[in-house]
Amino acid sequence: MNKRLLLTLAGAAAISSVIGIAKPEPVNARIKLATLPDKEAVVVRFDHPHQVLVEEERTITLQKGVNTIDFSWAGTNIDKGSIVFRPVAADTKVEILSTSYPPGEAALTWSISSPDARSEKFRLSYLMANIQRETDYRAIVSNDEKTLSFKHYFKIRNWSGGTFDSADFITRDGKTFEKGLDQGEAKRVLVNKWDGVKLTKEYVYDLTRQYEGKVMTDYVLKNTKDMGLGAIPLEYGKVRIYQDDGKGTTAFTGEDWGQFTPIGDDMRLNIGIAQDIKVEFKKMVNNVENRRGNVYDTNEVDEYEIKNFKDSEATLILVLRVQGEWEMQKDSSGYESFEREDNETIKFKVKCPAKGEPVKLKFHYKRLNNW
Amino acid sequence: MLSALTPALHAKEELVTLPKRDTVQLTIYNSVDLTLVRETRELTFKQGNNRLQFSWANTLIDPTSVEFNALTNADKVEVLDTSYPAQSNQMLIWTISAEAATSARVEISYFTSGISWNAEYHGMLSTDERSMTLTAYVGVSNHSGEEYEDAKVRLVVGSINIVEEIAALAGGQRDERMKEAYGKMRRADASENAKKDIVKEGLSEYYIYTVEGQETIPNGWSKRLESFVQTGVPLRTVYTWDPAKYGNQLVKLLVFKNDEAHKLGKEPLPAGIVRLYRDAGAGRLGFVGMVATDYIPKNDEVKVNAGADPEVQLKSKRNSYKKENLTFQWSGNRQYIAGWDTLEEFELDIKNFRNRDVDFEINVRLSGDFDFDSKTESTKIDFQTQRFALNMKAGESRQISYTVRTRFGTNIKNK
Repeated sequence: MNKRLLLTLAGAAAISSVIGIAKPEPVNARIKLATLPDKEAVVVRFDHPHQVLVEEERTITLQKGVNTIDFSWAGTNIDKGSIVFRPVAADTKVEILSTSYPPGEAALTWSISSPDARSEKFRLSYLMANIQRETDYRAIVSNDEKTLSFKHYFKIRNWSGGTFDSADFITRDGKTFEKGLDQGEAKRVLVNKWDGVKLTKEYVYDLTRQYEGKVMTDYVLKNTKDMGLGAIPLEYGKVRIYQDDGKGTTAFTGEDWGQFTPIGDDMRLNIGIAQDIKVEFKKMVNNVENRRGNVYDTNEVDEYEIKNFKDSEATLILVLRVQGEWEMQKDSSGYESFEREDNETIKFKVKCPAKGEPVKLKFHYKRLNNW
Repeated sequence: MLSALTPALHAKEELVTLPKRDTVQLTIYNSVDLTLVRETRELTFKQGNNRLQFSWANTLIDPTSVEFNALTNADKVEVLDTSYPAQSNQMLIWTISAEAATSARVEISYFTSGISWNAEYHGMLSTDERSMTLTAYVGVSNHSGEEYEDAKVRLVVGSINIVEEIAALAGGQRDERMKEAYGKMRRADASENAKKDIVKEGLSEYYIYTVEGQETIPNGWSKRLESFVQTGVPLRTVYTWDPAKYGNQLVKLLVFKNDEAHKLGKEPLPAGIVRLYRDAGAGRLGFVGMVATDYIPKNDEVKVNAGADPEVQLKSKRNSYKKENLTFQWSGNRQYIAGWDTLEEFELDIKNFRNRDVDFEINVRLSGDFDFDSKTESTKIDFQTQRFALNMKAGESRQISYTVRTRFGTNIKNK
């Protein structure tokens, strides 16, 4: 005897009330909402970076023998291949025999065998497209720029075609919040807040980031417990930065995309241009030497004249790049320290005295053409 | 714009209009099209969940920037979520839980585009051009679609980083309510009877200019305020030859520094247009020159290009051209030229017809594998620029000679 149950998930009619039980006799029509069993839990998981997994639980009354359950999802963006349906209890006697896909329909049917008449709780999981998620952050930096309060928001917009009357939304870092979410609606919630997060401020000259050669102001946050973070990997998202102006209010001081930052890693945020530090580049020597046949080396001296017009001393990091095979020469001068980050990149730290007194970084190198 | 939806599920039926905003503060940026608006209102909350609707039709507000912040009783109210309903892209609803019926002073802040400010400078030169009176202005223009009455105005000097344009995020259309604005502007003007001070303070890499008192800036209007006036700012005149920067002519640059020696230097000067005038007699002005300057830090220099001056002349001529050191190579049974040098003699003929001494800065740009030689002292600016710096008395004329040897072909040594 073939018993037929019906699960319907259709359009705005809803994820919240979609599972139906049919009479023990086979039926073809979909069961009306009024006769449906209550949904017990809907969970929407965002732990995958691109996919959204929806899980719902239903208690279904089964008859002895083979039962057929229909599931259809017209008007919603469910990924058919992703649907997983199973009893919740591990030691269940119930068995799912087969899954059938009717042609040209957003639907399927399961054949389930049951040793007796019973109520069984099932869990239905599937990937749902067009539920957008977005992370953003608000940082309020202290007046002295030593610490900040960091708020982490999570925003979801539902274009899936389904409506969530109430669901547990679970972020990638395991935060759960219960909300309702209509089709087309977006909701933004505060999921984490950290106070007293330590920050480092850096002045950086790097033509690959600022091609006009202006000096950037970066805030560097370390995602560690010591620095006041380190609880979760920080998702990619826009960080809007405000600073306490010392008068009981704040001013917006810039924004940047915060890259995905695992625990232990740095999040670097450019807040804007440090207009009081100016760098003037001059090539002082640009010569060819050691000509052999059609190859030669070059001898180059690049000079960076830095003026810090602030009232206090500052440290500037210059990130410079030379392509190919090259060697820095010993008479390079004017820096406090340097680090050759990789073959092409060298990073100089230069102490810049206050009030516009110029300091010169001399970067002398030879490009070698060895074969 | 702001309405409360007391514990209701259906927005429209429960719409309650709230009292007008009590205060408005505008923080206007000049490097990007962005203004931070903060307004405060007194709100009453019922126990439980309160729904508060905020809408901004016909304005240029960025929906992602709207923030709710309780200034009083902050521990009694909490924002549970912010909902952006599907049916409107110019509205949001906050669900705010209150542990007991309470009232709170709340601040709503958001970014809008369409309000801008700019700096302008007027310099009035003394008759000898050795000093000037410098007046700095700030101008504010409102094309945001919203009128801000009695607003506290703060201007941010600096270049903040913005990763998405506010106007694009706002996505709305502006509604130019010019006629309405006009009447309000007139009223605002009538009430103004004293010049306002502008207080300047540093914050991080920026400066904040706070305009004293309150301003009404109707939509579609601009307003200019005086930022400071400084008399007796010393000026230097440098005649500069630098084809890379100023083209093939000798230009007159009027130079001053934003420092204490020049009676300035109290704060950086925001980017803006500097216009210099001279006294043309009988209270009339003569225009001298203008420049759109970048931000000028404290202690940095400003150069205003006053163009060519017929009373000061420079002529550059080549007096000789020779080829030397020819070398040849065989190809088959023929010889071909393979390397040579050119030897050129140049003369700069400089005349100062003015009745005062003047400074010169002459930049000579060279290329290729060259040797530069001159009896007149010069400085190497970079690997292809030599500079002569001179001071010449009133009526003086002078010739500067230099020679350039350039190697070509196989004669090239180090290029």
